[in-house]
Amino acid sequence: MLTAVKNQVRVCALSVKYNIMREMLNKVTFLTNILFMMLNNATFIVQWVILFRLREDIGGYTMREMMLLWGLTASSFGLSHILFARVFSLSDLIINGKLDSYLVQPKNVLLGVMTSATSTSSIGDFLYGLALLCVFCFSLKRFFLFLLFAATGAVIMTAFALLMGSLSFWLVRADMLGNNMINTMIGFSTYPDGIFKSGARFLIYYIIPVGMAVYKPVHIMVSFDAGELLSVLGFAAGLSALSVFVFYRGLRRYSSGNLMEARI
Amino acid sequence: MKKYTVIYRSVLMENLQYTANVAMGFVSYFVFIFIFIQLWNYIYDDPRQLIAGYTKEQMIWYVMITETLWFGTRAAAVSSQAATDIRGGNIAYQINKPYHYALYLLSRYTGEWSVRLPMYALLSAVIGFALVGGLPGFGLLTLLAVIPSVVMGITIHAVFKLSISFFSFWIEDSNPFQWLYDKLLLVVGTLFPIEIFPEALQPLFRLTPIYTVCYGPAKLIIDFSVEKWVEILIAQLLYLAAGCALMFFIYGKGVKRLYVNGG
Repeated sequence: MLTAVKNQVRVCALSVKYNIMREMLNKVTFLTNILFMMLNNATFIVQWVILFRLREDIGGYTMREMMLLWGLTASSFGLSHILFARVFSLSDLIINGKLDSYLVQPKNVLLGVMTSATSTSSIGDFLYGLALLCVFCFSLKRFFLFLLFAATGAVIMTAFALLMGSLSFWLVRADMLGNNMINTMIGFSTYPDGIFKSGARFLIYYIIPVGMAVYKPVHIMVSFDAGELLSVLGFAAGLSALSVFVFYRGLRRYSSGNLMEARI
Repeated sequence: MKKYTVIYRSVLMENLQYTANVAMGFVSYFVFIFIFIQLWNYIYDDPRQLIAGYTKEQMIWYVMITETLWFGTRAAAVSSQAATDIRGGNIAYQINKPYHYALYLLSRYTGEWSVRLPMYALLSAVIGFALVGGLPGFGLLTLLAVIPSVVMGITIHAVFKLSISFFSFWIEDSNPFQWLYDKLLLVVGTLFPIEIFPEALQPLFRLTPIYTVCYGPAKLIIDFSVEKWVEILIAQLLYLAAGCALMFFIYGKGVKRLYVNGG
């Protein structure tokens, strides 16, 4: 059992490694993508400098905490797209019958799908998050917590995308719904939760998991609470289990598109 | 000119068939506007307070108008089509047609936003009236006067996006440059009016596309004056002329570097 898990993890790691190596074939493009994504994200600092000139705190966040929120969102998003980029286009695979080539492979279908693509620019997102942490609010404890929460955030974002993508097994236009839900999650995650009132707060904590992915981790990094930390870890594990369950339930309904495709 | 009108009309008719797809994008737009309404509600302590000379309603309407222009004019024709054609080699089939490739893409783009923008504008008006209230001083005459400025702003934006896309003749992927241009426009141009920035920076921003693409049309809608209208239109004409010259120059230089590997 343990050997099988070890083998599977090794295959996933190799898959991601080869994805990145393929992207590195053109080194200039590869580096430009990463650097410009970091610059692209950095433009939003201007937005917050302007807003914090108008008020010292926004929704209970100071500039330092806001940058921590932005950094965690960028790193979580980056990590999920470095490791599991294909999940975010799962609907396309299902609707167009492109899952066949994964089904015939000897390893786990879901992990094979998830790790079959990498977004180069997301490396820039991940590094940008770390850079923000180092510039605005570095401490050793916070650094390790940041890495942990970037991982849980990536797991929650990926699991949510998997859940939304899997809806395409049942619904024809679920891709549109899924994309909108994921965009909504990303949209909310770069603004302080304190500006939202009751209805919107319910939405971001209980419908779209942005509260558990970034808001609560930022609160924990500012003021540590072991109970809250466990709740984030538990939520990430629970959502992952649910999304895997839904994917495999949906996979039973999958029918081939008779599309000739090979994965080499 | 006639051939470009035909291209425009065919793209327009094609896009009219897919209005439901456009409507699906409303969710992202609504979320964005909702967040900004919450944000400005939080920042304005007192509803009568003025920030950089703008009331809360004007500030929210400013964001809604610029975001309508942003969401309503997003189209692959100017952001990724040229880069995809150049990278994939499809450009070889496009440049020997009896039209100028850049003008062909501009016609396509105009056909695309002609469907999207009115839909987003209508949605924006509904959200604005429902959540913020009416815009004082805005009437039909203002709307008619502002339309040329809006069209010019969108065209200037398209010309600059195409110029950046043509960098693909030299580098494989021009997308990173598109991101930077887009974010500059988004963060500095659409989220805030120019007056909110430090005074030392304002003259600089007035020289960038931000002034002619986002700020100009939005400012005219929320606070119209004939002097401002003339000033913005003149700036847009100058910018459009300079932008077109730049676009044709980059395209002309780039297309000479093109070589085709069979096919």
